[in-house]
Amino acid sequence: MHVTRDKANEKPKIGVFVCHCGLNIGGVVDVQKVADFAATLPDVVFASANLYTCSQPGQEEIKKAIREQDLNRVVVASCTPRLHEPTFRAACEQSGLNPYLFEMANIREHCSWVHLHDKVGATQKAIDLVQMAVTRSRLLEAQVESSVPVIARALVIGGGVAGIQAALDLADSGFQVYLVERASSIGGRMAQIDKTFPTMDCSICILAPKMAEVGRHPNIKLFTLSEVEQVEGYVGNFKVRVKRKARYVTDDCTSCGDCVKECPQLAPDEFNEGLSTRRAIFISFAQAVPSSYVIDMDLCLNKEGIVACDKCLHACKARCIDFSQKGEELNLDVGAIIVATGVDVYDPSPLTEIGYRRFPNVITSLEFERLINAGGPSHGNLIRPSDQKVPKRVAFLQCIGSRSTRANKYCSNICCMNTIKDALLIKEHWPGTEIKVFYIDIRAFGKGFEDLFRRARREGVEFIRGIPGEIIQDPETHDLTLIGENMLLGEWYKYQVDMAILSVGIEPRRDSKHIQQILNLSTGKDGFFLEAHPKLRPVDTATSGIFLAGGAEGPKDIKDSVTQASAAASRAGILMTRGEVKVEAITARLDPEKCTGCGMCVEVCPYKALRKDEETGIVHIIEASCAGCGACAAECRFGAIQMRHYSDKQIYAQIASITREEPEKKIVAFCCNWCSYAGADFAGVSRIQYPPQVRIIRTMCSGRVSMDFIRFAFARGAGAVLVSGCHPADCHYINANMQTEKRVKRLWKEMQKKGLHTDRLQLAWVSAAEGRRFAGVIQKMADDLERISEKELQKTRAAYEKFLGKEP
Amino acid sequence: MSVKKVWTIFDRSRLYECYECSRCSGSCPATLTHHTLGPRKILLKCLQQGQESVIEDPAIWYCTTCMVCQDRCPQEINIPELLTGLRNIGAQKGNVPEKVKFAVEKIAKTGRSLLTFRVERERERYGLPPLQEIDTEEVSRILTETGFFKDLKIDR
Repeated sequence: MHVTRDKANEKPKIGVFVCHCGLNIGGVVDVQKVADFAATLPDVVFASANLYTCSQPGQEEIKKAIREQDLNRVVVASCTPRLHEPTFRAACEQSGLNPYLFEMANIREHCSWVHLHDKVGATQKAIDLVQMAVTRSRLLEAQVESSVPVIARALVIGGGVAGIQAALDLADSGFQVYLVERASSIGGRMAQIDKTFPTMDCSICILAPKMAEVGRHPNIKLFTLSEVEQVEGYVGNFKVRVKRKARYVTDDCTSCGDCVKECPQLAPDEFNEGLSTRRAIFISFAQAVPSSYVIDMDLCLNKEGIVACDKCLHACKARCIDFSQKGEELNLDVGAIIVATGVDVYDPSPLTEIGYRRFPNVITSLEFERLINAGGPSHGNLIRPSDQKVPKRVAFLQCIGSRSTRANKYCSNICCMNTIKDALLIKEHWPGTEIKVFYIDIRAFGKGFEDLFRRARREGVEFIRGIPGEIIQDPETHDLTLIGENMLLGEWYKYQVDMAILSVGIEPRRDSKHIQQILNLSTGKDGFFLEAHPKLRPVDTATSGIFLAGGAEGPKDIKDSVTQASAAASRAGILMTRGEVKVEAITARLDPEKCTGCGMCVEVCPYKALRKDEETGIVHIIEASCAGCGACAAECRFGAIQMRHYSDKQIYAQIASITREEPEKKIVAFCCNWCSYAGADFAGVSRIQYPPQVRIIRTMCSGRVSMDFIRFAFARGAGAVLVSGCHPADCHYINANMQTEKRVKRLWKEMQKKGLHTDRLQLAWVSAAEGRRFAGVIQKMADDLERISEKELQKTRAAYEKFLGKEP
Repeated sequence: MSVKKVWTIFDRSRLYECYECSRCSGSCPATLTHHTLGPRKILLKCLQQGQESVIEDPAIWYCTTCMVCQDRCPQEINIPELLTGLRNIGAQKGNVPEKVKFAVEKIAKTGRSLLTFRVERERERYGLPPLQEIDTEEVSRILTETGFFKDLKIDR
């Protein structure tokens, strides 16, 4: 622990470090020019350009300057603060400077990477961004971070192979784990699959021991038929509400199966992908954990306590059927959460030309897994649905529902190898079967994959490049004709087959939106949950304390799911072992002198962290409940509430700095830390180019943006203002962005009344994955800037004149 | 006469989306009966070897703009639009099948692309009124002024 001095009250002595980042910045921005400019700014006593500021020598230079120049503020102009702010804060702290006296200018993601071909514009923008940062840094104050204890228990959502692995790893390291599974048994997709690639191991044979271990592990509490309903709290201290449905069968069930024979009700068996039926009382598969039957009350004749049929009750010798069981609500306190909710498969029925659901002998790869599985509806005999005969000619069609703008744009990662494995399985049992695989590219990239591909070719599986245009069914025999182009031969084919297997892609769980909202996760444009960093934090999410494992994060095979699950368990373990986390000192602070007790702030707080004291008549802030969104500070008309590290003064100073020169050519953009700022970063990482007119002010939440900030920007002559936040319902502060929308709409009305163009104030919801969208919004706004007349600008300035005077 | 580039009619970057699955060629009724280039190859040749490699090929006239290729293309590429563009340019280079010329002449003469005497007989049999008269003068003028006759090298 380093003792830091609060140097905030001394006269500012600012050090500015401008980073080349190799050619990442230096290749576009004239870094030396930016550093030279910084040196001319008031209070800047030291300015330098460095090749890599984040490197050890780079950090040493900062430390040296703090010591030798007695700096009390540090500004680094380099990459996004979302990447290296912690690095530089630590360097400051080590030199005795409070980490909150550090400020960053993002001249890489928001500048050099998005203006690659405009060196002059990018350099000017970098100069402006540095000036903004210096202006803000002058007003920074030292803050003290508090620590909160971490509960040494974890929640794992989803009991597929990833959830099982994560739960076991954590339980083995001595932590209590709650494993919540929606279905009646754990096992997930892996339990449905017959064999695994590339080893051809029996899937359930290797999974069942792990499932059983979960069932008996003293540190794991397994809740099946349960779903997470609500999550509150923060890293280390989550309060989770789980809804558990009744099983109607007690733990004494011996799974003898006597009850099933008596049940009169039938429904398609979900576990067998609807290829067989099950009763209202059922067990999804032989190896199920818990090994107990369950009654599907939607199907059972008994409803809400009225017993119309008790056949199973009488058949059960162990007397373990209990119609009076009730569902329950569980409240769990956990320190970390692992999301392993898995995947769904693509439904190919919209592709009418290949006839799925119209032609009985066209099936999906998952249906095939159940057909060839000994525990499946045909006891492992490959039969075709139309006549239950063993097919002699089988076709596989690749990339169904993947790599397509009509379905899912991404490659589903597993289907090539899955098909090769399936083809070999058929060859193993029925060597005479003719197998044709229609493909575009075979992606056999993993360890042992190419060997399996070679084996399939050697065993006579034919690989034909070119997906059939259509499948035609013979109405009599139900045989199928595949028509298409064999690209490699440059010829046309017309093949007759007995059965066609569609190698369907995988996609996010159809109801993953629910989990996304209660846990406040982001999703990529493919709909899978977004990791905090694709390379370096691949199992963390942007919400600290929540980790990802398995298919929920992206399409992946069993090995990758297990690897990721162990990684997630380890990340959660590190958090819980440490036992405490530091909380950023960004909370609201109230000046009782200025508070009039109007109570507007109380209304907008999503956390109920503000309370009006009836005795004193003023508002009181419960700091422990405050998450730091700043919606209250933006709502207060009397300036009584200030956010730590995001004060009004600091933000006004940034706006003033942006509008210092040629304000009519500038777009003042407010971006929330979690979604839009990250979205702008993503545009940078993806090198999506947009015009350089925009200057971004980072706030924790778009709810921090008060109407007066926007009015002030217009009064200063800003060409346009953008307010940008997370999509509605994705807000990281429950619903603080609803205040954003309300305020912007109110301003639009106001502008309309004053006869101003409302286009100049834009509201855009941009998620962390929507770099292209962010760039699109800026492009449009920059185009609109060209059309704003001098008259219009004067009119706006005059209309908001009285909001001037906030400049530092 | 300089030939127009097809990329002025069709956005070239749309073709970058193609990853050669050949669903289009496998779906094309014209290609399946004639076994000619097929949409996939036309598209690829156009992209890699330029429009010159296809505009003089009679294969571009087999397309009936039935739209099935576009309907099934996983990347939603508007292939018929590309084919239409290529035929426009091909026609300027003299690549027009005699049958098409015949149809154009018919339109100029009768205002219709098909011979109608059998249609008239059928209509009479069902008690339907005869087909409407068409102002062939006007049709002919449109075809002349739009440069149709010139492009197709039809003598008037």
